Parts: sequence; structure tokens; C-alpha cells
Amino acid sequence: MTDTAAPTAAAQMDLTGELIYAMDTCARCGFCKTVCTTYPFGGGFEPLSPRAKVHYLKEVLAGRAELSPAWVDRMYQCTTCERCAEVCQTSIPLVHLWEAARAALVTAGLGPMPAHKKIREFVEKWGNPYGEPSENQALWMLPEHKPAESAELMLFGGCTASYRMPPMLRNGASILQHCDIPYVFAAGKEVCCASPFLRTGQNEVAAKLIRTNLELFAELGVKRIVSPCGGCSKTLKYDYPKWAKKLGLPFTAEVVHFSEMYAGLIKDGRIKPGRVPDMTVTYHDPCHVGRSQGLYDQPRAILAAIPGVRLVEMENVRQSARCCGAGGGVKANYPAMAGEIAKKRVNEALETGAQTLVTMCPFCQTSFDTAIKELGAPIGLIGVDELLLRAIAP
Amino acid sequence: MTAFENDLTLALGPRVSFDPEVLAAYDHDLGEMPRVLTALFACTPQAVAVPRDAAEVAAVLGIAQKYRLPVTPRGQATSGYGGAVPVKAGLVLDVSEMTRVLHIDQAAGTVDVEPGAVWNVLSRELAAHGLDNRITPTSAPSSTVGGWFAMGGVGIGSMQYGSIADAVLEIDVASLDGSITTYRGRDMEPFHQTCGILGVITRLRLACRPATAMRACGALLPSPESLAACLADLRAGRPPYSLSIQSAGYMRLRAQAEGGQAPAESGFLIVAAYPADAPGNSFLAEASARHGGRCVDERVAAHDWENRFYPMRIKKNGPSLLVGEVYLPVAAFPAAWREIEAAVPGELGLEAVATADGRLAMLIYIPDDAKSLLYPLRMPKAMIPLAVAKRHGGSAYSPGLWFARQAKELFGPPKYREVVEMKKRLDPLGLLNPGKITGANVFGLPGFEVSSLIGLAGTLAAPVSRRLAYHRRDLA
Repeated sequence: MTDTAAPTAAAQMDLTGELIYAMDTCARCGFCKTVCTTYPFGGGFEPLSPRAKVHYLKEVLAGRAELSPAWVDRMYQCTTCERCAEVCQTSIPLVHLWEAARAALVTAGLGPMPAHKKIREFVEKWGNPYGEPSENQALWMLPEHKPAESAELMLFGGCTASYRMPPMLRNGASILQHCDIPYVFAAGKEVCCASPFLRTGQNEVAAKLIRTNLELFAELGVKRIVSPCGGCSKTLKYDYPKWAKKLGLPFTAEVVHFSEMYAGLIKDGRIKPGRVPDMTVTYHDPCHVGRSQGLYDQPRAILAAIPGVRLVEMENVRQSARCCGAGGGVKANYPAMAGEIAKKRVNEALETGAQTLVTMCPFCQTSFDTAIKELGAPIGLIGVDELLLRAIAP
Repeated sequence: MTAFENDLTLALGPRVSFDPEVLAAYDHDLGEMPRVLTALFACTPQAVAVPRDAAEVAAVLGIAQKYRLPVTPRGQATSGYGGAVPVKAGLVLDVSEMTRVLHIDQAAGTVDVEPGAVWNVLSRELAAHGLDNRITPTSAPSSTVGGWFAMGGVGIGSMQYGSIADAVLEIDVASLDGSITTYRGRDMEPFHQTCGILGVITRLRLACRPATAMRACGALLPSPESLAACLADLRAGRPPYSLSIQSAGYMRLRAQAEGGQAPAESGFLIVAAYPADAPGNSFLAEASARHGGRCVDERVAAHDWENRFYPMRIKKNGPSLLVGEVYLPVAAFPAAWREIEAAVPGELGLEAVATADGRLAMLIYIPDDAKSLLYPLRMPKAMIPLAVAKRHGGSAYSPGLWFARQAKELFGPPKYREVVEMKKRLDPLGLLNPGKITGANVFGLPGFEVSSLIGLAGTLAAPVSRRLAYHRRDLA
């Protein structure tokens, strides 16, 4: 028999015992507060800090606090960048906690935020959160791109790359063809990976999307999936296996981000980059590529392999990298905040004196593109993939 | 809006809040105190102000004086002594946004900072000037310079540089009348470790050290006696920059939390940090060997040094921790430690840092669960180390709210008298951080001072509490 007191009020939050225990280990040290991406936008008041959110969730579970609209809003002012979890003394899986809490808010009818509802409407109608007709999914392709009818490797485009950042996919397909690697691309059939919905707590629609994609993967018989997107690759790599189990569907494919594939091809000697005009670049670690997947060395290995490219690091890199502001549904619902976060990172890049900011995620790239224009910042912007393609192009 | 709210809003604009949801986030600090205790006080403030500079601090204090409103200064609330927790509601003055580095004097090796400057951030800024903090708390990734001075303490680097009081050369203090006064040398002492009951610190000048890389080395000592003897040798001969100690119980708890293997199953681990160009390993090897110890693999020491800001990792084994924190003369450690171990059965972890004046600042961790119904009854276990330490010439670590009655002994009667006299002169209405240092009366009843009641309850309940074992929560 345990002597633990039962919560007196509403199990308004349906959180697992593991997450509740993790919350109870919170040391209230505030390490999370000092690195939080969105805390600086809370007027200097404690409640927007991750530690305050943990405290508040504990109070709700104990029946001493109510789920007010203001708190719901605060729970959504988070880019899920994982900086808080990275520094947590007791390793609380804080982003899992935020996502679980958001899911509970949605179930309770208190979430998500208006912009997130809108993207849900789009995805339910079009299969992507941008409201683009699915026949536009392959518009990025060049005439020379020849996806196979059947192959072990699937190029998972992702919505942002497919509809908003097509060069990233073009470059990926071109590099695959340069290496004679056959790939399939399920034009018009691939739906959103569900990342925006898992991050915003909309698990019901996420489950439908995941089911559609899992059935597609099974139908195509793919053994490996590559994606240019940090969000898609993170979701496919870590969320899909769990959801496949929940949905009773098979999923055994290996998932890789393009940085892993390019770095591997360079290491194996299948890509031999040539010289590009001398340039000094600084690399931004996308949150969902870096902290989520631990891919810090691979993008740097690619850059190091390109003669003419000199990397200078920003103050906050790798595990400590700042966020671009786009993740977790923040860009959709709090665009001004997201814009300011992106500018902060661009300013950090400017401090290095680099000519060009490079990254490997369509979300980050679109955010920086806008920030650079708005700042009138004297710095270029390019994807690592684009640089690599330039180095191998005849 | 009341006149007080109106004045505050005019002074600080959006950087003041009266929203109950916001205010509720300021009713606690790092400590997990039982609700039965916090319910005795009005811990939730009526307003929170987040000033940007010293002038705004002074303005807010002037308003508090005008409306006779209690003011609780707060940094990042990373201490567990209740120093940043209101007991009479009022206004929380949160200086954590005052983070500017005001001036670095490279030649003099000093830096002027606002009170909300975070230690590790400051360390990075100083590095560009070839300087570094002399000492830092283990909470350096989040804790503030002003907060540490106001709470007092020792930490990383204290073996060479002493306490936070030794590192501060000058302070500016804002008073209730809106004035700001500069204090230096001995005149600063009443403001050190007194939680802002005499004024709110708005600037500190710190003495820095040259930024030199450190290398850690480690040794295992088989017994408390050998540990104390080794520490005495090191202090007399080749004192390191920093020196920490872990008991076998702490090593075990940490290994469980990190999923690794403890460096030893018995004895004590010493980790000493020397400047990288000094043969620190030889110093430690010689000193430990003389007392039956042996050096540990460099990786063990390096891991400990790299994780020096993460002592609370062991809370994963809790989910809560009962913590006793005391100062103890190194020479008294063997007898005191044996008494503590005998008095607190079950899991127990000791982590300590050694100081320049031959003391240990000891943290005794006991895993527990604050949600447990028996938690308040087990809490007196955390008081046992203090009782033992005092019998062996030790003292409390910091007074704050919960240990206010220890202030006189910790400060010494002269300083305590000076603080009390200054309090009467500078704050006759008792508005500045009431209840801290001089004590908080429960329900306002004279004689019912909370830290005295805690001390009494601890003494009476200790025999019972030590028999109440804690069994970790079953996650299944």
C-alpha cells in the first residue's frame, strides 16, 4: 500500500504515471528558464518559464488550479525546441510533457489555438497544412528527375519542402541521382507527416495522417525513408514506431534525415565534392535535427568536405543552439514572436562575420529568409544540400 | 484599479502584474515545503514588479513605502530557504531581468553587474576579457549574482577564494526612501546573507580571477578519518582551486540517476580542480596515498567536473529530496558523519565542498516524496544534520525564512546586533522582506516564530521521523 495522497480534484489532465513522476522530480532550479526560447516574450514574468508550467500542471493535477484560457495560451507559446529538456537537472522529458498536456487540452476542448484549428481544416481537406492541392506535390521536380516505380528508398518530401521550399527537394533528388541511388516519390499520395498536429496536441487527426502514410509505406514496400525536413524526419523516426504499434500497423523502415545520407555518401567516397568559390559560412542546428535526432556532426562533416567552405560557429551551437522560432505551432499562431526569435538567431549569425548562413531544415530556412529580408541583414542564406550540389555539379 | 496599483503601473507599465495566475507562480522557491507550513503565511503576493534598472527599483520601493506594502526581493529563487518567498503577501520585486554587465575593468580584474546577472552567462562574457568568476554556485546556470550575495554561501572555487562575500568588493543598495547608497568593505557585511531585509541590491562589483582552464583529478578515501586528514594536508600544502566530496551513498544515487556505475561502493570521492598547467594529479595522489587513498581514473573526475552544476540529478531517485545543509569544520567531520549516518537510517547521500577556511559546506540528501502523506512527518530527518553539526562546532548554512533563528549564531552576535539596529533605522515599519532573518511569527502571534517552531518540532519529531522509512513510488 502506498501512502501517496490521491489528487483531490479533476483528473483534467490525462498524463501517464511516468510523466507525473518526472514532473515531481522538477528541482525548480530554473536552468530551463534561462535557456527557454519563448520565455523572453513573457514580459519577464515567471509563468512563461518551463519550470512554472511544470508547477502549474502539478497544481492542476492536484486540483489546486484551473485550466484557464490564459494558461492554455501559455502552454502553446512553446516552439518545442527542446532547449529546456537539454539542460534539465533531472532529465524531465519536457517536450513530451508539453505535447501530452496540449493533447489533454485538445481533448478537454480547450485547445488548440485558432491557427492550429485552421491548419487542421486544411489537412483534413487537402492532406497538407498549407491547403495546397495534392497534384502540386511534385511541382518541384525537374525534367531530369526520374523517381523509380519501385525502390527500397523513399524520398519523403514533407509539406513545407514540397510546397514552400522546393529547391531542397530538387537538390535531394539531384544528389540521389548523381549517386545512382534509385528512389520512389509518392507524388499526390504522401500526406502530412503529422508533426504539426502531434506538436499541437491534435492527436486524432495525427492518427489519421499517420495511418495513411503507414499504409502507403507498406504498399510501396520501402525499407528506408529519407527526408530533407527536420520535423518530418524526427516524426517518422521517433513517433511513427510508437503510433504504428498503437494503430496495429507494421513499420520497419529505417528513417534518415538527408544530412545522415549525404555524410554517409561522402564517407563512403560516393560523393566527392569539388571546390566551390571561397565562402565563410555559419551553420544553424535545426532543433528537430540537432537536439531531437542528435545530428550535429553530419551537417558539419558535409561542410568540411566541400573545399572552399570555411565554417565559423555561432556562440550557441549544437545542444545549445537557439531555435528559429517556427516549431511547435508557434509560427502559425504567434507569427510576430516567431519572427523575433528568427531575427535573434540571424543576429547571432551576423556576429560571426560569416557571409552565409546555412542550415538543413525547410522550416528554419523559410524563417531565416523572412528575418534576413526584414532586418536587411548582409548575410546570404543557403541549404547545406544546395552547397553540396554546387560542389558536385559538373 | 487601486491607487497603489495605479502608481505601480505608472512607474513600470506592463512590467507589473496583479493577475492572480501570475502571482501564484511566486509563492514558492526551490524548496518543497509541506502545505501545512506554507499555509501559515500569505505566500502569494498582491503584485509582482519586474524593474529594468536601479532607478525603477528605487521607484518601486518608494511606492511600497508610500502604501506601507511589504516587499520581497527575488532573483531566480534558486535557494530553498524561503528567502524569496513572501510571508505577508505585498509586492515581489523580481530583479531577474536586471542582467546587464555594467563595466569590466580588465586591468583591475573586476566587473560591475546588475543583481539579476546569471553566473554562467557572466562567466562567458568575462572570458572575452581574459577573466572569470572567482567562485560560482552549483546553480550557476540559472542563479543570480545578487541572489547569491543576499543568501550567502560557498561553491565551486571556494577552496581557493572563500565565500561569495569574499568575492564582492562593492554594492549599491536601494532603500525605501528611494535613495541608492554605495557600500564597500566591512560596510557591506550587514547586506550579505540577509535576504534584502535592509535594502535591495542594484549593483555589485566582483573581484575576478584570470580565466585559466581547470583540470579535475579525483581520489577515493576509505574512511571519514582518512578524508579529513587528506583534506587538511591539501589545504596546508597544495590547495586546489575547487574541491568537492561525495559519499558512497551519493555516488550510488547519482549512478542510479545517470544509469551508470558508481566509482566506489564505500568511502568518499574527492574531486579537486587545479589549473590545467599545474600537476594537480600528483598533489592529490601524494596526499591521498598518505592516508590510504588512491587516485581514480581521470574520466571519473572529468565527468564529475563537467557535471558540477548538476548535483540535483539524484532527485530522479526521489522524486523529492529532504535536504540538510550545514557548515562543519573539516576536523570534526569523522565524528559528525558517523553520528549522522547512525541517526538517519536508509538511503543518504553527502555532497560537500571544501572552503578556504577549513570548513565543509555539506549537503545531506535523503530521497523522499513530497506528495506522500507521511512526508511532513519524515521532514524532521532533514534537521538531524544541523543538530549533529552544531554539537561538533558547525552551524546552519543560511538562515532565510525557515532557519531564521539560526541567524544570530551563524552571523555572530556583533553582526546580528548591527543588522537588527540597521533594520530599525532603515525599515522601521518592517516592510523589507518581512519574516526573514529576524523571524516570522505564525498568525502574527508573538513567541510563535516559525523557524523556532520548526526547530522544536524537528527535535521532538526526529526520533519518530527517523523510523519512518520511505519506499519509492511504484510507477506501475
